[in-house]
Amino acid sequence: MLDNPVIQNIFSVALYLLRIAVPLLSIVVVCRCFHSLKAGRRREDPVVILQDMVTKEIIPVLYWENSLGRSRSCDIVLHDSTVSRDHAVLMRRESGWIVVDTNSKAGTRVNGKKVEDRAQILPGDVITLGSTSLMLKRTSEAKNLKPPKRRRVHAASPFGLLFVVMLIQIMLCIEACFAGGQFNYMPLIPLGVLVVMEWGFYLYSMKGLNRVSFELETVGFLLSGIGIMLLCGSGVEATYIQLGALLLGIVLFCVMIWFMNDLERVMRWRLAIAIGAIVLFAINLVFASENNGARNWISLGPVSVQPSEFIKIAFVFVGASTLDRLQTARNLSGFILFGGVCLGALFLMRDFGTACIFFVTFLIIAFMRSGSVRTIALICSAAVFGVFLILRFRPYVAQRFAAWRHVWEFANEAGYQQTRVLTYTASGGFFGVGLGNGYLKSVFASTSDLVFGMVCEELGLILGLTIVLAIALLVFYARSDVTRSRSTFYSISACAAAGMMLFQTCLNVFGATDVLPLTGVTLPFVSQGGSSMVAVWGLLAFIKASDERTYAVRKRK
Amino acid sequence: MKTTGTRSLILFLLTGGFLVGLVIFLASLVMEGGNWAFQPYNKHLSSGGQLSYAGEVLDRNGTVLAQSKDGERLYNDDELVRRATLHAVGDTMGYISTGVQYSYRAELAGYNIFTGLATPTGETTGSDIQLTLDSNLSKVTLQAFGNQKGAAVLYNYKTGELLCMVSSPTFDPGNVPADLNTDTSGKYEGVYLNRALSASYTPGSIFKIVTSAAAIENIPDLDTRTFNCQGEITVNGNKITCLSRHGNIGFKDGLAKSCNIVFAELAMELGKEKMTAAAEAMGFNRSFDLDGIPTSKSQYDVSDAEENELAWSGVGQYTDLTNPYHMMLLMGAIANGGTPVKPYMIESITTHFGLVTKAGHTQNDRQLVQADTAAKLKEAMRYNVTSEYGDNLFPNMAVCAKTGTAEVGGGKEPNAWMVGFSSNEQTPYAFAVVVENGASGIRAAGGVASAMMAEAAKIPSAGSE
Repeated sequence: MLDNPVIQNIFSVALYLLRIAVPLLSIVVVCRCFHSLKAGRRREDPVVILQDMVTKEIIPVLYWENSLGRSRSCDIVLHDSTVSRDHAVLMRRESGWIVVDTNSKAGTRVNGKKVEDRAQILPGDVITLGSTSLMLKRTSEAKNLKPPKRRRVHAASPFGLLFVVMLIQIMLCIEACFAGGQFNYMPLIPLGVLVVMEWGFYLYSMKGLNRVSFELETVGFLLSGIGIMLLCGSGVEATYIQLGALLLGIVLFCVMIWFMNDLERVMRWRLAIAIGAIVLFAINLVFASENNGARNWISLGPVSVQPSEFIKIAFVFVGASTLDRLQTARNLSGFILFGGVCLGALFLMRDFGTACIFFVTFLIIAFMRSGSVRTIALICSAAVFGVFLILRFRPYVAQRFAAWRHVWEFANEAGYQQTRVLTYTASGGFFGVGLGNGYLKSVFASTSDLVFGMVCEELGLILGLTIVLAIALLVFYARSDVTRSRSTFYSISACAAAGMMLFQTCLNVFGATDVLPLTGVTLPFVSQGGSSMVAVWGLLAFIKASDERTYAVRKRK
Repeated sequence: MKTTGTRSLILFLLTGGFLVGLVIFLASLVMEGGNWAFQPYNKHLSSGGQLSYAGEVLDRNGTVLAQSKDGERLYNDDELVRRATLHAVGDTMGYISTGVQYSYRAELAGYNIFTGLATPTGETTGSDIQLTLDSNLSKVTLQAFGNQKGAAVLYNYKTGELLCMVSSPTFDPGNVPADLNTDTSGKYEGVYLNRALSASYTPGSIFKIVTSAAAIENIPDLDTRTFNCQGEITVNGNKITCLSRHGNIGFKDGLAKSCNIVFAELAMELGKEKMTAAAEAMGFNRSFDLDGIPTSKSQYDVSDAEENELAWSGVGQYTDLTNPYHMMLLMGAIANGGTPVKPYMIESITTHFGLVTKAGHTQNDRQLVQADTAAKLKEAMRYNVTSEYGDNLFPNMAVCAKTGTAEVGGGKEPNAWMVGFSSNEQTPYAFAVVVENGASGIRAAGGVASAMMAEAAKIPSAGSE
């Protein structure tokens, strides 16, 4: 049937139109998702209020966790010399409001009773800090405060968005079916599995858990779907592991959301998680098999696992903390120690790309916890010194990056992968040469480290840019949601997870295109690699948890 | 939580870095995308060569010089035409980097940033490029070279069309000789170099035109001066020699007979500053381009020269260097009253759909010679031909010219030069010819120039603008 030149031409044009439609629809989905995430948020209205017993002044309580004290950086500033700089923290939990004394000099009392560590308070209770007494009241009890207006939410329908994602996947599947000029029904299998998985998860999430939002998951499915369909072009068998990993990723996502619901539980488990991560590193170092210069794989029978991917999640868990703990345990030494052990292990594994990712995440967490530019500068100069020592005594490390910015001079040696990426990226143009029609796939690591080039070649530059911008938007979203989260634990972990993903994206995309040295890390969601796929959904859970609507259904009215 | 919110601004640093990286990547893609795509290993271009599905290259008469059929690059049927136009058109593998097939490979292969190498119909279809070259003229010129190495260029100094550009040695791109890269006899020495654009030759006596220009502009009594040539002079212990003893001789005859003593003394009298100023005004120490294809830089540098070396620089020796394209442009300038018309080789680039995306046109280049000086040089160069070279070399063309015999040292025969132009309205052509180790300017280069100009005169539409 495809032998007729006229039909062949019409067919080619139709496929080309599909190639134009895919990135345009993807842009629409990404924009609508992030617009809807922002539109669906609560406005910064006070949750409850505090009333000064003497002056009758009304203080709105804006956040889920509020620091009280004399310091200007506190959320509620008390102008009273008997109040410590950081006196106490007022937190909202599932069980109600809690006040925690953060090692103040004068102590904190509730209804006259001294608070030892923390105390539950109800509306009408009086908190005494130094010589200031504040009564907790509902917002409706204050006469001069207007009740918060419920804004109409213009969120896009989650159903519609996921439906468009499915359409995109169907289009990509059609392209995959006709790759190479012959019809092949095999790509329908991964499409079917993908569709079942995403709609199953949608129903579970919306109907089973009564959640109101599904945007982050939709973006996750869009990117994962593109990666899986891209694999179809070079062989359907490769997608099975990826689909399995996606399923595990979704399970991990759900488990983490459940686990993080109870912050006390998270805080109790933190030490165990940290020890577990270090043990995992140790196991990795002992049993690892060397793979392309880095010792970062463990073989467990038929599957091989990259432990460092999962340690990324542990790293965020260990780093983030609730506000009361931030105020009491100010020094970072525990976390610095943990970070140092992780980085040391990664250097021993010679996985420099992942080491960089850990380091940047470490900086983000350290700054968000301490706010101290001096500490950050100190850590950075220590890192520079460390890198200097490594280059001084292990000069071969520098050899690995010798081709950076000179890839064309080493086009068939050290710059082989990068030059191929650039050549085939340029060959693809805006809309690509068509799924399965690329040639980059024959280059080593094309579906993982060089996947950006493969997306650009086969599906076009526009789609490649849409993918990386979607990941960059996660950072914007995580950041803009910081003060609306239910705890600083969620906001710090969301920022760290999003920053980690974006930095990893930078290393992947810019490494392959010779803007940065090539380090061999994966592109979140898109790259082939089971551990990476599972872990990235785990990281997405942190961002999901920072959206207060995630737990809204459990919120007691 | 307020402070946590403020501190989260650190993420913008990361986002900023991400955007900077993205801008760097996209900017290089826009600037370099064509070069990235055109790599010999790129399988989208073909399995056999870069130009398997590229557009055609045509000469001024529509003769096909190169085309692609069934995934193969084919060239003109005539072997001599293939060899004569090799350096202008370029080879299949892209080794001749100044060839159109290399410099304009993106256009030929149909690359653009929007569609890359993909097209809606699934077939790569590139643009066709028509050149201003005349394939027959190129063939005749190459024949005149015989086995000699060198280069010849000729253009219409009124319109700017480049009619002939031949570089020797050359090879047949349609049937690449097996010993091309392995030969040790030297017959393919620098075969990938387009000598007309990229070679650097010692100019020898043709540089006397530059010294003359400097003298005309700076020495008022030049025409009444008399020099004395006894075959040699001694400058701070070093001899400056002349090919014969001209005795008492004036400036005009000094140029016609190419007396070294006259020009050595003029150069010393003018001094480094004035000589350098004249040379730089006439395009030395600067590179030109032909449709974006750069030429090598002509050189005149006497900053560290001793007095005797300054004298040698005035007769085109010492470290002086030039290339045929520059000399042809200088001739075009003198013919045109000082300001040359910029030469071009691309007549038009037409996309597969018939859209013309680039069209060559007449435009003035930067002034090289002052108008008065140009008139005097023209007169002197005309006298060279009538009194010394013989007008029968270029019948009915009123050619003004200068020959040169440039010593190259190393025991080799000197390089032979002839540069000039026809002052006849019907044949407005300027040319430059260099024959390596050709010994005598007038015999070796003059023969090629004569054959080339005679064939150029036959081109119809000559002289029309």
